[in-house]
Amino acid sequence: MIVAKLIDTSLCIGCKACEVACQEWNDQEFLKGEFFGTYQTAPDLAPNFWNLIKFNEIEQDGKIVAWNMAKYQCMHCADAGCMRACPAPGAIIRHANGIVDFVHDKCIGCGYCVTGCPFDVPKLSPKTNKVYKCTLCSDRTAVGLEPACIKACPTNCLTFGERDALVHQAESRAKELRADGASHAGVYNPAGVGGTNVLYVLKDASKPESYGLPRDPQIPLSVMLWKGPVKWLGSLALAGGVLGAALHYLRFGPKDEGHGDD
Amino acid sequence: MIERFSFVERGIHWMSALSFLYAAFTGLSMWSHKLFWIASMFGGGEVTRATHPWAGTFFALVLGFMFRQWASQMRLDATDRQWLKVSHRYAMNDENGVPDAGRFNAGQKMLFWMQSVSALLLFVSGVVLWNPEWMPRTLRLIAILVHPVAALGSISGIIIHVYMGTLAVPGALHAMVRGVVTERWAKSHHRAWFKQISR
Repeated sequence: MIVAKLIDTSLCIGCKACEVACQEWNDQEFLKGEFFGTYQTAPDLAPNFWNLIKFNEIEQDGKIVAWNMAKYQCMHCADAGCMRACPAPGAIIRHANGIVDFVHDKCIGCGYCVTGCPFDVPKLSPKTNKVYKCTLCSDRTAVGLEPACIKACPTNCLTFGERDALVHQAESRAKELRADGASHAGVYNPAGVGGTNVLYVLKDASKPESYGLPRDPQIPLSVMLWKGPVKWLGSLALAGGVLGAALHYLRFGPKDEGHGDD
Repeated sequence: MIERFSFVERGIHWMSALSFLYAAFTGLSMWSHKLFWIASMFGGGEVTRATHPWAGTFFALVLGFMFRQWASQMRLDATDRQWLKVSHRYAMNDENGVPDAGRFNAGQKMLFWMQSVSALLLFVSGVVLWNPEWMPRTLRLIAILVHPVAALGSISGIIIHVYMGTLAVPGALHAMVRGVVTERWAKSHHRAWFKQISR
C-alpha cells in the first residue's frame, strides 16, 4: 500500500502546529528566529527544520490581497531526483509504502541529492555533513501511526492515508471548491516526477508558483544524462582503454630502440 | 646518459600523478554504485567525499605549475601535424615515415593540452559541486555533468599515458623517475631533440 499526505491549502490557517509537531517528534532544536518581514517561521527549510508553512503573500495593486499558505516539505516523489543523484548505495531508500527516506549511516554528505531534487528540499548540515529532510514520519507510519504534522493539524487541512483514496478525495475536494467559485481549483500531483506522495489541493492550481511550488518539476536533464548515457559511454571508454592497452601490448609489444641506430 | 627531465620537472610530474590518482579513484567511487567499493580503500564514503575536493584542488594547483613549465614546449608545429597524420604507424611500431620527434612528440603534446583543459574544467566544476549551499542550482546542474565528462576524458587519456610510459616505451618510466636516458633511447624516440642537444 502506497501512503500519502494530502494538504488542502484551502483549509490551512497558518497556525504552525505542524511545524511544532515536526520539531517535537523529531527531537529537533528550535530555530533561532530570523525576522524577514513576513509571518513565515524561516525563509527556507533547514537541516533541523523539515516542515515549513510558506506564507505566500499575493499582491495586487501594491496591496496584499491573499495569503496562499502552503506547508512545504519533502514531496516523496515516485521518481525521486535525490535518489537518482545519490552516489552512496543505500543512503536514500524507498520504503514499500512509498516513503523516500535518508539513511544517515550510509550518507557520505556529497550533496548531490540537493542538486537532484527539483523541490530544493534536502539540506546539508555543515555540522554533521549529512543531509536531512522530512521522513513522512517513517518511524511512526511503520507502527501504524499517522505522521506528527497530521496528528497536530486542527483544521483537517492535512490528511494521511492510502494514496489512491487520497487522490480521489483531493479531486472531489477540488471539484467542491470549483463549485464554490474557485474556478481554477485543482490538485497538485506533478507528473514530471511520476507523481508525489504529498498531494496538494490548490484553490488556484493554474498558478502553483503562488503557493511556492514549482510549476513543472522534473528530474534535471543533466542528472538523467549523467546517470544514463554518460555512465555507459564512460564505462566503455575506461574498459576500452584498459583492454585496448592490453591487446596492443599482446599484438605489437614494446617499442624497441633499434630503429634509432645510425 | 643524457638528462631528460630535471628534478623540478619530475617532482611536478609525480605530485600531479599522485594527486590525480587519488582524485580519480575516489571520484570513480562516487561516480557509480558499482564502483563504490573503491571508497572503502580510502577510508569509506565520508572520508572519500571529504578528501576528494582537496586532492582535486592540490592537483589543479600542481597542474598550474606544470602548465607554466611545459606549455611553451608543447606548441604543435608542422612536424607534429605530420606526426599525427601517421600516428597509426607509430602506434603499430612501424616508424617508417614518422617524423623525428622533438623533446615531446605530438602524442605527448596532445595529452598535455587535453589534461590542461580537463583539469581546468574539473577544478571549476568541482568547486561548484563542493558545497551545494555556496552555488546557485543552475551552475550545479551544469557542473554535475561537466565534472564526470571531463574526468572520464582525462582518465581515459591517463590510461593510455600510463601504458605508453611503462610497458609500451621501455626506459620512459626511468626517465621520469631518475631523469636520465641513454643516447640510444634519445636517438630512437626523440631524435630531433637528441640532435638539438648534441649540437
